[in-house]
Amino acid sequence: MGRWEAISGEIKDVFYVRIWKRAWPIWAGAVALAFANIFMFAFARAIGVFPQMAMWGSWIYNLVGIKVDAPFIPYPLTPLHLDVHTMINFGIIMGAAMAALISQEFKIRTEDWRGYMTAIVGGVLMGFGTVIMPPCNVGGFYSATMALSLSGPLAGISLLSGAYLGGLFLKRQAAQAAEEIDFTALPMGEEVRKKENSFQPIMGAAVGLLLTIAAYAYAVKGMPKHAGLLLFGALFGVIFQRSRLCFASAFSGIFVSRNGTPMKWILFSIAIGTAGFAILKSQGYQQMHFVLPMGLHTVIGGFIFGIGMVIAGGCGVGILWRSAEGYVRAWMALIAAMLTSGAWVIIYGGHVGEGWLYGKPFSLGQFGWFGGALLIYLFLAAFYVLIKYVEAGRK
Amino acid sequence: MRKITAAKIGEGHYQVDMRGWVCPYPKYAVEPLVAKLHNGSRMDMLVDCPSATVDVPNVAEYMGCRVLEINQIGNGEWQIVIVKS
Repeated sequence: MGRWEAISGEIKDVFYVRIWKRAWPIWAGAVALAFANIFMFAFARAIGVFPQMAMWGSWIYNLVGIKVDAPFIPYPLTPLHLDVHTMINFGIIMGAAMAALISQEFKIRTEDWRGYMTAIVGGVLMGFGTVIMPPCNVGGFYSATMALSLSGPLAGISLLSGAYLGGLFLKRQAAQAAEEIDFTALPMGEEVRKKENSFQPIMGAAVGLLLTIAAYAYAVKGMPKHAGLLLFGALFGVIFQRSRLCFASAFSGIFVSRNGTPMKWILFSIAIGTAGFAILKSQGYQQMHFVLPMGLHTVIGGFIFGIGMVIAGGCGVGILWRSAEGYVRAWMALIAAMLTSGAWVIIYGGHVGEGWLYGKPFSLGQFGWFGGALLIYLFLAAFYVLIKYVEAGRK
Repeated sequence: MRKITAAKIGEGHYQVDMRGWVCPYPKYAVEPLVAKLHNGSRMDMLVDCPSATVDVPNVAEYMGCRVLEINQIGNGEWQIVIVKS
């Protein structure tokens, strides 16, 4: 084999097979996620996806003549193509679609009406959870904990309890269906064999091209933040799709399957992010970014959101990237979640963070940025020990 | 209640079709299914959820099974070959 053949073979292995054909190990996804979040925070903001989806819901209500304000004050009603935060979500959808297509993992995945009803219930629960907690799993737990917000660890504990309940429900359904199968009395059938040829990789490359053109168009129109967040969103979409990093599954797996491996990597990811966020904040940069209101509402909202994300088949970001993989279940959950959270101002009579329901934000930076980070590391260590304890009880 | 479709392919060789079941259903179903299998028999589980290609083998191997192959059989579809030993 010639030198150039060897080089091209190696390039193909690293940049095509390992990235687009094989699933990434979960640790790679967790580490990539942390650095992507630090860089995006340094660029503009940290990852969080639900407040902008709630705004989409309010936007749809206004489109059909129902006047309602968007529930999150920093996310006002804006045409979607001009909303800078929406760019992250559009990016996640496009990035995940590109990754799913290139790897030939895209499929319109239909279910029966029971699956869709479960997804809608899950979406409604997430819709309420996001405005009560606030905001979502990735914003309220993952980014908030990195951002040294005391609400982050509290949201984590609440999500864990809700996810446990949701996981038990799904496990019972799966066990009942499996119970019906009797291997001694099955009808004869044909083995499903591998099908060849797929145009999906070409379609994936086309989505990538479209993404690049869209980002370039925003940049030349004088909207570099829009362009950047669209590309960051796409990076998140690729990371989630290729590493199959699913927060809902990570939370529910701890108690339901006594398997905490995905959550342990998420904790490691938060540990990396905490250092990055603490360094940036210690330099005076966006010190109250993702420091969120906390109180009893965090516990209630997190619990509701935790149930919802598991039965819907993904948290806020989960239903975004899964919708791009072709899950009709995720589409249903997405619509239910945005229409529920989008109506919050009518239901509650005020915005998120205002009024009797919500507590005050508390930054652990009040103990100094080093001290605050240390407290987060203590929380992460305690969470890790809890997981090990639960895993040790596995039969 | 939703049903899982399954068929006998040959002697001690079964195919359980969980395409259309979103994750984590396949992960939760594989445990009771493997428990019912006789030693030495083979179960091909068909899934269309990418995460199941990681979760299902993990559970099966934890239960002492051998996972012989994970084959992509179409766009977004896989066959996971599990042998109970």
